Amino acid sequence: MSIDVVTQIVWSKLTSSATGIPEISQTVVWDIRLPRAILGALVGGSLAVSGAAFQGLFRNPLVNSGILGVSSGAGFGAALAIILFNQTSFIYLFAFCFGGLAVLLSYFIGRVYNTTPTVMLVLGGVIVSSIFSSLISFLKYVADPYNQLPTIVFWLMGSLATARFHDIAIAGIPMVVGMAGLVAIRWRINVLSMGDKEAHALGINTALSKGIVICCATLATAGAVCVSGIIGWIGLVIPHIGRMLVGNDNKKLIPVSMALGGCFLIIVDNLGRVITGSEIPLGILTALVGGPFFVYLLKKTKGGGW
Amino acid sequence: MYLLEVIDAGFSYKNAKIFEHLSISIGPGEVHCIIGPNGCGKTTLLDCILGVLKLNSGEIKLKDKSINQYRIWEIANHIAYVPQSHAKTFPYTVMDIVLMGRASHTGIFASPTQEDRVIAERALAMVGLSSYRERPYTQLSGGEGQLVMIARALAQKTPVIIMDEPTAHLDFKHELIVLETIVQLVRDTGLSVVMATHFPNHAFYFANNGINTQVALMSNRRFIANGHPDGILTEKNLQAVYNIYAKVVTQHISPMGEIKQIIPVGTLNNHLKGR
Repeated sequence: MSIDVVTQIVWSKLTSSATGIPEISQTVVWDIRLPRAILGALVGGSLAVSGAAFQGLFRNPLVNSGILGVSSGAGFGAALAIILFNQTSFIYLFAFCFGGLAVLLSYFIGRVYNTTPTVMLVLGGVIVSSIFSSLISFLKYVADPYNQLPTIVFWLMGSLATARFHDIAIAGIPMVVGMAGLVAIRWRINVLSMGDKEAHALGINTALSKGIVICCATLATAGAVCVSGIIGWIGLVIPHIGRMLVGNDNKKLIPVSMALGGCFLIIVDNLGRVITGSEIPLGILTALVGGPFFVYLLKKTKGGGW
Repeated sequence: MYLLEVIDAGFSYKNAKIFEHLSISIGPGEVHCIIGPNGCGKTTLLDCILGVLKLNSGEIKLKDKSINQYRIWEIANHIAYVPQSHAKTFPYTVMDIVLMGRASHTGIFASPTQEDRVIAERALAMVGLSSYRERPYTQLSGGEGQLVMIARALAQKTPVIIMDEPTAHLDFKHELIVLETIVQLVRDTGLSVVMATHFPNHAFYFANNGINTQVALMSNRRFIANGHPDGILTEKNLQAVYNIYAKVVTQHISPMGEIKQIIPVGTLNNHLKGR
């Protein structure tokens, strides 16, 4: 199919006009490929933008979008739903809720003396992540090895293959809301990255600003993880590619990370579909494709001021 | 009217009393040096003035109104802060850093405006670092980094700047550059500076340069003396606070005239033992 034909199909669907293109091509483009591309853009953007926001918030360039346990929490929720119900809608719901729950737990573990020092938050996240990781292992252990176990393993490796428009409608809401919130508050993240005391002295309510950033990043990440499974790497490295391209000012970095993450995931997803006869899970490919590109940029920009 | 008043202030963490009965009044164009041994509570006092911590007793007044009645961003419009050593994380450009001084004027979902940019440029020019605008601040030397922090505080456009040991870790020259910058700012703009320092000579430096200087000597959780350096930084007081033998010398240096300096001779134990 040429780009021409694809645009014609999309155009005809949008304007509900008729074309002479065969029904099968229309279905492939409109019902299978397009939702998958949109979902890829949303998921990639969400993971990258949350990663960038968390790196700033925690003042740590090694942090990723799953630092507060959202990925492991969602993974556990999904595995649980696969064992109990094995229905897609329950998997979404459980993954989303447990992702949120994990972040909430990390937040309360990290809360001491009515403040939330970043070190304690990160520590809380690490603890919650490892607890949920062991719970995932436990579920894998008790799962039926012929049906449930492969489903769980495949889900955990990440995929956009199930994407339909109604998935986008459900999971798209938290992703869009979370991303929009982070884009709106992006300059504040600069100030937060100065540390609590300096940010306070600069005149911002650190508890409120931190709370908003954590909520938005959690919404976006949980929305992404619940439809796509666990896709690593994007939330850690895409922000660094952004840093090399436009610098560290979150005013530019946040939108750029979002765009890069979206594009990157669509490209990787396409590669995963076409490289071999069967699909390669995204979680495997993201680092394999992105790693060399990262090294190339690193050499070219000399790291960008680190 | 005083810009900032600390009245009979006391603070404790749970059961550990950090300081009590501290009073200090800061008027426009003054430099206040808070001097005292390690761990005497200087930084805690500064944190209370910044509103990061809350006093247990006494009160802090900003322009005759209790600091508790101000919102966080309102305090930041009156008092700016220069940290002792800033933990650098991301290689922001110098301009990005100075612009953060405009946070209290910028809404939660907004970014600095063109006007903020102009103010930040001016602040950077005041510390003489305009040409560093696009440099990553992680690559600056300690002294330059501290000047950037001062520029960020200036961009806040406050009548008072709090500095916590602004010359710690700096070499002789950069220490002087920071001190000269402070003198020039106080002289030119009528700014007031409250600074914690480990070097009593800093107070003499400001006084020698004709700045209205006050020293608060802190020991055992209180100010044991408070006033002009000449009356406070005496051999007797230094001995009482630090347990050291020090000599205050006066030297005529043209064109400045009489300048005073402290020469720390030795710890008291060692000095009394003789050689």
